[in-house]
Amino acid sequence: MPPVSAPPPAQPDAAAGTGPRSAACGPGCGCGSGAPPRREREHWRSLDELADTAAARAFREREFPEGASELPDDIDRRTLVQLLGATLSLAGLAACRRPVENIVPFVTPPDDLVPGVPKRYATTMPFGIGGYGLVVESHEGRPTKVEGNELHPATLGSASAQMQASILGLYDPDRSPHVLARAAAGGDAASGFERRAWSDFVAAWKAQEEGHLASGGAGLAILAPASSSPTCYRLAAEVRRRFPALRWATWEAVGEENALAGAALLAGRPLRLTCDLAAARVVVSLDADLLLGESEAVAHARGFAAGRQLRTESDTMNRLWVVESALTTTGAMADHRLPLASGEMGAFALALAAQLAAAGVDVGLPPGIPAGAPAAVPARWLAALVSDLAANRGRSLVVAGRDQPPAVHALALAINGALGNVGGPGAPVTLREPVDVLAPSTAELSALVTAMRGDAVSTLFVLGGNPVYDAPADLAFESALARVGSVVHLGLAVDETAARAHWHLPEAHFLEAWGDCRASDGTASVVQPLIEPLFGGHSAIELLRLLATGDEQSGYDAVRETWAGLLPAAEDPLAFDVAFHRVLHDGLLAGSAAAPVAMPGVPALPAEVVTALAARAPSGGGLEIVFRPGPAVHDGRFANVGWLQELPDAMSKMTWGNAALLAPRTAARLGLENEDGARLGLGAPAGGAAVELPVWIVPGQAEETVVVHLGYGRRAAGRVGTGVGADVYPLRRSAQLGFAAGATLEPTGRRHRIAQTQDHGTMEGRPIVREAALEEWRRDPRFAEEMVEVPESGPLWKEHQYTAGPQWAMTVDLNVCTGCNACVVACQSENNVPVVGHEQVRRGREMHWLRVDRYFSGPPDAPEACFQPVPCMQCENAPCEQVCPVAATVHTADGLNAMVYNRCIGTRYCSNNCPYKVRRFNFFNYTKDTPELLKLAANPEVTVRSRGVMEKCTYCVQRIQAAKIDAKMAERPLADGDVKTACQQTCPTQAIVFGDLRDPGAQVNERKQRSRNYVLLAELGNRPRTSYLARIRNPHPDLAQA
Amino acid sequence: MAQIFPRWTNELPLRIAAGSVVAAGLLVGGIWYYFSPEYTDVGYQPRQPVAYSHKLHAGELGIDCLYCHSTVDRAPVAVVPPTQVCLNCHRVVKRDSPALGPILESSTSGRPVRWVRVHNLPGYAFFDHRPHLRAGVGCATCHGRIDQMDVVAQAEPLSMSWCVDCHRNPDPYLRPELEVTTMDWSAPRDQLQLAANLRAAKNLHPPLDCTGCHR
Repeated sequence: MPPVSAPPPAQPDAAAGTGPRSAACGPGCGCGSGAPPRREREHWRSLDELADTAAARAFREREFPEGASELPDDIDRRTLVQLLGATLSLAGLAACRRPVENIVPFVTPPDDLVPGVPKRYATTMPFGIGGYGLVVESHEGRPTKVEGNELHPATLGSASAQMQASILGLYDPDRSPHVLARAAAGGDAASGFERRAWSDFVAAWKAQEEGHLASGGAGLAILAPASSSPTCYRLAAEVRRRFPALRWATWEAVGEENALAGAALLAGRPLRLTCDLAAARVVVSLDADLLLGESEAVAHARGFAAGRQLRTESDTMNRLWVVESALTTTGAMADHRLPLASGEMGAFALALAAQLAAAGVDVGLPPGIPAGAPAAVPARWLAALVSDLAANRGRSLVVAGRDQPPAVHALALAINGALGNVGGPGAPVTLREPVDVLAPSTAELSALVTAMRGDAVSTLFVLGGNPVYDAPADLAFESALARVGSVVHLGLAVDETAARAHWHLPEAHFLEAWGDCRASDGTASVVQPLIEPLFGGHSAIELLRLLATGDEQSGYDAVRETWAGLLPAAEDPLAFDVAFHRVLHDGLLAGSAAAPVAMPGVPALPAEVVTALAARAPSGGGLEIVFRPGPAVHDGRFANVGWLQELPDAMSKMTWGNAALLAPRTAARLGLENEDGARLGLGAPAGGAAVELPVWIVPGQAEETVVVHLGYGRRAAGRVGTGVGADVYPLRRSAQLGFAAGATLEPTGRRHRIAQTQDHGTMEGRPIVREAALEEWRRDPRFAEEMVEVPESGPLWKEHQYTAGPQWAMTVDLNVCTGCNACVVACQSENNVPVVGHEQVRRGREMHWLRVDRYFSGPPDAPEACFQPVPCMQCENAPCEQVCPVAATVHTADGLNAMVYNRCIGTRYCSNNCPYKVRRFNFFNYTKDTPELLKLAANPEVTVRSRGVMEKCTYCVQRIQAAKIDAKMAERPLADGDVKTACQQTCPTQAIVFGDLRDPGAQVNERKQRSRNYVLLAELGNRPRTSYLARIRNPHPDLAQA
Repeated sequence: MAQIFPRWTNELPLRIAAGSVVAAGLLVGGIWYYFSPEYTDVGYQPRQPVAYSHKLHAGELGIDCLYCHSTVDRAPVAVVPPTQVCLNCHRVVKRDSPALGPILESSTSGRPVRWVRVHNLPGYAFFDHRPHLRAGVGCATCHGRIDQMDVVAQAEPLSMSWCVDCHRNPDPYLRPELEVTTMDWSAPRDQLQLAANLRAAKNLHPPLDCTGCHR
C-alpha cells in the first residue's frame, strides 16, 4: 500500500535545464520574498538520465534492473527442476539426524585467551614508503576485522577500504603454500615447478654464497619494493656491506618518487612533505587526489573535514580548489574544480606562480618566462584563486599530484614556501628528512634491467612486488629476466613474476610476520603478527637477514635488534622489554616523528625547474593518456580481493574491471558510447603498444584525455582477479609513468559488459541530496528541511512508542563525506556481506548494505558532484514491516528495524515497499562455495545468510548488544560512544555519528539539532532514524554565481 | 442395470471425511509433540570420550561449577575445561584410574579431547551466559541437576518459546547472584518478592526483541 500522504513525484522526464526538479519549493527557499533566490540544483546520477534516454526511463520505471529477479543465463528450466528435486530430497534427509558437534578445548590454554571474547592488537600495514597503524580484532587467534589506530598519524582511527580488505589478502586461498623450485625435468608439467622446503632453498643459496662473497656480489642483484622499515633499511645496508658490488633497485609501480625528487630540486636533497589540511583555509590541488588516491589520504580527509565542521551559521569553512584531469573524489569535494589535462598542469602552476608574483608573493621565478595559463583556464578563475591564496598566507596549501613531474612538485613547494605555509608549528606543510626509507626509483630499475640484459646479473632476488606485471613496458623486464641464471622470488602468490622465477618463496603476509615501519612523518611502529604464517611463509626481513649474515634469524629477533637502537632504554633488558611492549601496545613509538626541516627563506627556483615546465607545452597531436592506480586494486596487488573488485569506484560506480574513461565531448567526437570496445594505443603505429578496453564516459573529466586504471588484467592473480579488466601496463613507459601524450583510441566495434551500480534505485527527481552555497545557507539556515512540505497525517494504525531505553539514531554529514567507500568495506567485513561477482552486479544484485550514491549537478562538461551514503534508514514507521507476511522484519523497542533471517521466506515484498531501496536479497547461496580458508575472515557475531533471505543494515546490532552487556556487567549505564557502528568507526572524516536519541548529551543529538539536518523523503511519513546534514559549498565571492 | 456399489458405500464419503479429520488431527498432534524440541532434544545424552561423572565431581565432591567452567562469568561461552584443569587434581588424585586414560593421553600427546556438545543452540541464536548469571539465573535452571547426572543429558528443550517464557516472566527463576551455582537451591516462600527486589536492584529488562538473540 503506498503511503497516502506522499505528494506525486515530479515528472522525471522534464527536460534537463528547464527548471528545478524538486517536488516542492519549501516556504523558506525565498521564492518571491525579498531575499535573493537560492540557486536550485538539478541532480542527475548518470549521463543517460540527464539526456533522458528511453533506456534510462525504462530503467527507472522498472525500479529494479532488468533481470534482477531472473535466474542466471546458464540455468535452464530442466536444470532448475532437477535442482529443486535434489534440494527437496536433501532437505528431507538432512533433518533426520541431529548434527553432532564437538567442543575441543585447549590442552594447555594460552594465558590471556578467553574463548568467545575477541582481542585487539595494534599492528602496522606497510605501504610504499609509509605505513598505516591499525588495530586488528582477533577471535580465538584468527584476525577478523581491521580498524585504524587512533594514535597513529596516518590513520587516526580510520582505515581505508584497502587497509580493511587486507584481511582477505591474508586468507586468500590462492596464496602459495609451498616453496617451489624450477623442475630440472619432469615435476609438475603445468607450472614447471616442483615442491621444495625452505631448508632446500637455504642450502641452494649456501652453495652459491661463497662464489658471490668472493666476487663481492658482482653478479648479485636485489629488486625490492619501496619500504620505510628500519629493520629492512639496516639489513639492506648490511647486505651491501657484505656484497659491495651488489646491485640494488627499489621499484614501485605507484610511488612517491616524483614528490621526493621535486623537493630535491629545491633543497638539494630529497625531503618528505606532509600536509596538515586542518591548518589550511585554502587548499589547492594540482592533479592530486588528496582525499582518496594519495598515500596519506586518510589523514588528509580527517584534516579536510576539520575545516568544514559547520555547527552554527557563524562557523567558517575552508575552500578547496582542484585542477585535475581525471574526475576524482577530491574534485567532487571541491568548491571550485577545473578540468585540465595532466600535461598542462605544469603550465598552470607556472601561470599561478607568475600571477602570485604579480600579487606580491615572491615565488622566486626567474624573469622572462612565458607564464601564460593554458587556454582552458578562465582568467577570472585564476585571478580569484590568486587572490584567495594571497589573502591566506601561512594558512593555505598547494599540493601537486603524485604523478606530476618533479618540476611541478618543486614549484608547488616554492609557492608554499613563498606563501609562508612551510614549517613552524601548526603550519599546513611540514618538510622532514626521510628516515629509513628505501625510495622507489625508476632509474635504479632501469639500470638493473640494463645490467640484466648485459648478462651482468647471475642471481636476482625479487623481495616482493610483481615487476613482470607492473614494470614499465619500455624496459621489457620479462625478457631481461630470462637472461638471469637464478631468479629468487619472494611473494604472496605464484604471480606473473613467480612464474618466471627459478625459486618461489611464499611470503608471510604483514598480519603474519614481524616487521616495522615508519609513517610518512617518520613515526616508527612495529608490524605485529596476529597469527602464525598460514603457509609457513617468510618475510622480506628474514630473507634479507639470511643474505646479510648467512644465517637465519626469526623476524622477531631481527626487529628487536633494530629497536634496541630506537628505544632509549636499550641497555637494561628489562627496561627494553617494558618499552618495546609499550610500543606493541600503542602501535607506535610516541614522539618518534622526524624533526621538521626549515625552509630557508624564499628559495630561488633553479633554472632547470622552470625550463622543464616551460618545455612541457601541451602536445598537439593525439589524446593524453593518464595512468591512475586502480581505486580499489591499487597497482594490482589487491586484484584477488573480492571486496575490492566489487567495490564501486567512487566516481564511475564501476565494479569488476577498468575502462577507458572519457569526457562526454571527447567520446562524442570519437563516436564512442558507454561499453563500446576501443583500442587504446600509444606511440608509433608500428612499434607502439595497444590495449583493448571498454569505454566509459565520465562527466567532468578533462577533454582529449583518456584515464585508465592500473592493476587490472592480471594474468595470474588467482580465482578472483585473473583476467578481470584490461592490463594497461603495456602502454606505460618509464619516462612517462603518470601520463603521456600521443595516444590514439579507435572503436573496435565490439561491445563490452560493464558491471556498475550507478543507476540502481534512482530517486525520481525528488530532493534527495540537498545542498547550498555557504551564503545561501547563512541566509536560510533550515533550507534543507524546508525543501519539501511534510503533510500532516494521522497514524493509520497503532504506532510504536519509543519512550524507554536507548533509542538509536544516526546522522551523516554530507558536507564532509568524500565518497571514499571505507564505510562500505567496513560494513561488508563486520556483517559478513557476500561478494556476488560481475554477472550478479550487472543484474543489480550487489549485496552491500551500505551504498554510496553519487549525484552530479550542473553541466556535464564541468559538473559538481556530491556523495550520499545510504544505509537502512531504520524508519520509525517502516513501510517494509507493514507488508511482511511472516513478521520477519519487525520493530524493536530501541527503534531498530530488525531483520529476522530465520523467519524470512523471501517474498521480497519488503524490498518492493522500501522507498530507499536498501534491502538486499540473497538470490543464491553466495557463501556456499566460500573456501574454508576464507571463512576464517567471517565475523562470528553475525549470522551468515543463506539463499532466499532478505537482509539489510541493522545499525550493527551485534555491537549494540555487546556494548549493552558490557555496560551491564560493569554496572554502569551505556555512555555515548560505547556503541560505534562499523561505518562510523572507520569513517575518515567522521561524517557518520551514531547514538542514543534519549541521551541529551549524545553527539548524535547535537548533530540532529544543527540547521542543516534533514531526513530523506520526509514527505512519506516514515520518520527515518537516519538523517543527513546538507552539503554546503564555499564558492569564492568573485566566482559565486548569481 | 445391477448396482455396482453396495449400499454401505453411501457412507464412504462421510467416513473418509471423518477419517481425514482424525488423521489430520493425529498428524498435527504428532508433529506438535514429536517434532518439538521438548521431545527431540530433551534427554539428549551423547556418549562422551571421557567417562567423566558430574555426579561424582559436582555432586559428591562438591566442586563448584566455576572451577572448571571458569569463563562463564566473563565470556559468552562457559568453556569446557582444558586438559590441564583436569590434571590440576589428577596429577595426584587417582592417577591410575582407567577412566582417566583419555585425559592422560591428551596431556602427553598434546591432542585435545573432543567432547560432544550437549546444549546446542542453532547458529542464528546468539546466547551470552554473562547477563544471565548477573541476573541470577541458576545453572540448574537451564541445565538441570547436573550434580545428579553421571553422563550429562539435556534437561530443558532450549527452544525459543522456552527462552521467551522466562524473558516474559523471569520472576520464578531468579535467585541471589551468589547462589547461581548452587545446584539444590530451592525458591523461598517469598520468591516473587525476592525476584521483584532483584529486578529493581539490577535494572533487569530481559529483551523480548528478536535482536536480543538473532543478529
